[in-house]
Amino acid sequence: MGGFSAISAGNGWLIAAMGISVVFFGLASLAFIITYFPRAIRWWNDHAKSPKYTVQLLRSLFSQRSRKAAVRADTREGHETGEFDDVEEALRLLTAHMKEPFKLPRLIEVAEQRGLARVHSKINRLLVKGTMVGGADGLFRWATPNETSKQSGSELLSGESHKD
Amino acid sequence: MIPIDELKKYEILAELDPAELKFLSAMAEATQAREGEVLIQAGLPARTLYILQEGDLMVAFPDGRAITLHKPGGVVGWSALVSPAGYTASVTCLTDCTFVTFSGSELLRLVQRNVAMGTKIMRNISKVLSRRLPFLQEEDRQRLRKGR
Repeated sequence: MGGFSAISAGNGWLIAAMGISVVFFGLASLAFIITYFPRAIRWWNDHAKSPKYTVQLLRSLFSQRSRKAAVRADTREGHETGEFDDVEEALRLLTAHMKEPFKLPRLIEVAEQRGLARVHSKINRLLVKGTMVGGADGLFRWATPNETSKQSGSELLSGESHKD
Repeated sequence: MIPIDELKKYEILAELDPAELKFLSAMAEATQAREGEVLIQAGLPARTLYILQEGDLMVAFPDGRAITLHKPGGVVGWSALVSPAGYTASVTCLTDCTFVTFSGSELLRLVQRNVAMGTKIMRNISKVLSRRLPFLQEEDRQRLRKGR
């Protein structure tokens, strides 16, 4: 006995199917873990601060619709969550390598090279919020917590000389 | 064509009288640009002056320094008034933007024909630029003075 009959006789097809399934589910699980790892880290960090956010996040794990609603709710309430937080974190990491104060065009260039989406509008949002500020020397830096709280609610501000 | 009422809202045109604004109104055009779009590339011939109507801009100088503009009335592309010249900085839209634009050559001709009007416009542009003085090199200042 040999060939296909030998495979059939030794349950070869079943074993092959099992092997394919194990690899498939292994890779799918790995992809799932990688996808949700940043959220899990954020949940871990925010858990003590905001139980409401945690509930929204858990819902969002099971429903795309509720995930969008949670993000919308966060935005309405002015919480710094979701994708925008990820971008801010990524930008902070990039600027940590560049040293402060940094050149804004260079930051945008590097962020785009790293594949961050819609970098321009996200940086603009940070500038308008006062999280990132421009100096009179044309270089930019992250605002200290004091500066951010002073500027929140103001129209803008990356330096008086920039407001024309 | 842009309505006179719209034009007189902007700082660089604020001192102009209605007759002068009427000339400019006929020359002005509305333009839009998308987030991330490079509106002006440093070094290229300066042909258009832009006044920001809505949106946010980054003006980046060749040495990597930059300023951001977030208020209506911000002027970019002033080199178009100092012909022949190239743009001294690159301008990128941080968000979707709308502009009032003027052809540099047409505006320059108008300014040369009407000295009083030219003086008012140049004075206001100088005012705007003086706020960006840390970023201007001596060469740019000299060109602006010659333009006056």
